[in-house]
Amino acid sequence: MKRTLIAIVMTCMTGHALAKVDLVTLPARDTVQLTIYNSADLTLARESRALTLCEGVNRLQFSWENTLIDPTSLEMTPKAFADRIEVSDLTYPPRVRNLGLWDIQSQIKDKVPVEISYLTSGLAWRAFYMGTLSTDERTMSLQGYVRVTNNSGEDYENAQVRLIVGRIHLLDQIAELARREHPYGSPTPPVPAATAAPMRQMMEIDKLRTKASLGYGFASGGAGGRMAPKAIEKEGLSEYFLYTIEGTETIPTGWSKRLASLAADGVPVVNLYKFEEERYGRAVVRFLSFKNDKEHKLGDTPIPDGRMKVFRLADQATHLAYEGQSSFKYIPVGEDVELNLGPVADVVVEPTLVDFKTENHRFDKNGNVAGYDEVKTVKLAVRNTREIPVDVDIRRNFGMSSWDLDKTGDFDAFAKVDKDTVKFILKLAARSGKTFEYKVRIYKGTRQEDWRP
Amino acid sequence: MGRHTCIWVALLTMGVASMVQARIKLVALPERQATVIRLDNPQATLIEEERVLTLQKGVNQVDFSWKGVYIDVDSIRLAILDHPDKVRLLSVSYPPGEAALVWDIASDGDFAETVRISYLLSYIDRLITYRATADKAETQLDLKSYIVLRNFSGEDFDKARVLLDYGEAFEQGIQHEETKQLLFLKAPKVPMRKVWTFDAAKLPWDPEELNNQNVGIPVAYRIVNDEKGGLGRFALWGGKMRLFQDDGHESTIFLGEDNSTLIPVGEKTEVYIGDSRDIVVTQRKMKDQRINLRKNNAGQVILYDTDEEITAKIENFKNTTAVLTMIQHIPGQWDMGQCNLKYIKKDASTLEFEIELPARTADKPASQELKMQYHRRNVPEGPAVGIMGQPEQTPVG
Repeated sequence: MKRTLIAIVMTCMTGHALAKVDLVTLPARDTVQLTIYNSADLTLARESRALTLCEGVNRLQFSWENTLIDPTSLEMTPKAFADRIEVSDLTYPPRVRNLGLWDIQSQIKDKVPVEISYLTSGLAWRAFYMGTLSTDERTMSLQGYVRVTNNSGEDYENAQVRLIVGRIHLLDQIAELARREHPYGSPTPPVPAATAAPMRQMMEIDKLRTKASLGYGFASGGAGGRMAPKAIEKEGLSEYFLYTIEGTETIPTGWSKRLASLAADGVPVVNLYKFEEERYGRAVVRFLSFKNDKEHKLGDTPIPDGRMKVFRLADQATHLAYEGQSSFKYIPVGEDVELNLGPVADVVVEPTLVDFKTENHRFDKNGNVAGYDEVKTVKLAVRNTREIPVDVDIRRNFGMSSWDLDKTGDFDAFAKVDKDTVKFILKLAARSGKTFEYKVRIYKGTRQEDWRP
Repeated sequence: MGRHTCIWVALLTMGVASMVQARIKLVALPERQATVIRLDNPQATLIEEERVLTLQKGVNQVDFSWKGVYIDVDSIRLAILDHPDKVRLLSVSYPPGEAALVWDIASDGDFAETVRISYLLSYIDRLITYRATADKAETQLDLKSYIVLRNFSGEDFDKARVLLDYGEAFEQGIQHEETKQLLFLKAPKVPMRKVWTFDAAKLPWDPEELNNQNVGIPVAYRIVNDEKGGLGRFALWGGKMRLFQDDGHESTIFLGEDNSTLIPVGEKTEVYIGDSRDIVVTQRKMKDQRINLRKNNAGQVILYDTDEEITAKIENFKNTTAVLTMIQHIPGQWDMGQCNLKYIKKDASTLEFEIELPARTADKPASQELKMQYHRRNVPEGPAVGIMGQPEQTPVG
């Protein structure tokens, strides 16, 4: 069915004579597990094979032409008779690329399951989401998907697919390690002409990809005749989250597949509109927020970072309207999600400087101004022209920490954010408006000496 | 002899007074006997090889050439082993345009003399790599270390004793352009501690100000090179360490990799594996006021103190406990007014907090708050320097 680029040749050496080498068997791949990362171009592949070992030294040749395997990551582990089998060394022979030779010292003559693991490049996954707001925009139906893509150059047949959410630290890009002429590099000075080889290899991979796209498709296994979408099991490990897709998948190189990862209906959302001139300019920016917790019908697992397209049910006939899209960061369980849907015109915040003066001037010995108070009175008119209630978060920055504030008018909450920033929260009913005013006295120059918090 | 050997030793017995202009090279090719590759100095690799020379009474010329092999010519030495009192090295000559030398050796008799030739050889070296698998609870590591021999010297070694700076010597052949990865250390139960570190000088303070980006808190595994972990016999050389974790399903996940530095016996190291996005720190400066102004005769401020307040909210969204190491910096002379958490003063300007975070509950993250109010003293007027060594915000009105 498929072309296998990874090949294994097993040889058994009788006695100590290196020259006398007999071909023993060509073990097939029994199972494959792929653990794919999304924060780096990295997949941990683990395959099991059964080797027929003889007593003494066995030599296993493993080759991986036209793949993107990092040769320094190869490891072989016997899964039985571990105390009687020793994998002593791995040799990368001279003047041969993409080939490794394991020397296996065995005290037994038997069929032994072994596991070969390696890191490879070229497999990737990403999360993306679709949200559909109810007509009153108070709740949202949320669907999450993952899309797995195989550009590794290797077809993976009936592979268990696992996806890792988390930020990993790497010293080297796996793809670069895979394209090295020598697995661990060479201590000799670099030769510029050597760069031609990886290009050739990449071209071959591209050709293969094209070929594969004509002949293969993405196939699922392990749940024959299934009528329901596959489940994804989720669990936390260290600083990562592991998604294990039910059953197995066959992933020819060049193909990708979308799988549903998350579904929740009736997620309560808040339409939050933000106004902060220093950050967003004069426009009001719309945010859609909800929390990754039980109250919001979520909270089983963290939500991987991705992009969400937000739609709205436009009418009773369930026609949709597109509201916007936003990428969002990784959301741990219990944290708020804020989707930035961009600037809007249907909620308006209009700041007006209604009064400005300076007073309490201080002078130095030369008669120059050394300090004064700047007193500003600002009126903010806020209007919600939408047919739904909204919350508005207005932030004002004073640029320095010595200030006094008097506030009057129609706002619902006030808080000091940090030494020079305050916020006002307003809850506006549909098609309504509110107005409030603040008077800020900013102490400048030597007048700061007189300021008391 | 290896298939690709480029070093040749040729022996020519000469009449005492004859000086041959055209060099005759091939007389006998003594096989290389015991060969030692010493990799104990990371700067250079020393090769010692023994050969048996069939010497005749009189002056013998021994031709040593190394075409295509990266030998440091000034490092070549010859030692007479069997009859040092009867066999003497008279001189060394270097023929023009060749990677070769000629030893003139005077012998008092006919001997099958063992000599040791030593030289520094370039482009043959060793790397150290580590592979460690943490248990699911992240309390111990199954640590393996590999030596990677790389030979790009131009010379084949069919069989050699390889010496590192520690451990037993071992026998190994390695061909030119060959790389070998050899397992040399297994420590299946190395205790470890997982540490999270927030350094206020390195990480953003307020995640809200980042547009949909997580602030990752660096996570590291701390291990000690001591007997408790089955280590402690020698210093562990620096090298790339790849970390995996047992996933509880008879498989592993890859946690990350880092370069470990040399770990002397008894010392600890931290291996950075990645960033946690489940611990969130939101730090803000709530107060920054100049006080106790001192002025010169012209009435200009020349020295002042500050009254500053920092708050940091630490939230643990994980369903397991964690201990966060939080590092704060206060430059110059300072004294602490109030601080609600204990800290250790690591140096004049660095404070280290160990903050224990319980696991999150079903409905909310576990949360701790650091509140510290302090004064910086005798700050000279001029470009003001903030807590992170950055200029303070200029007032914009």
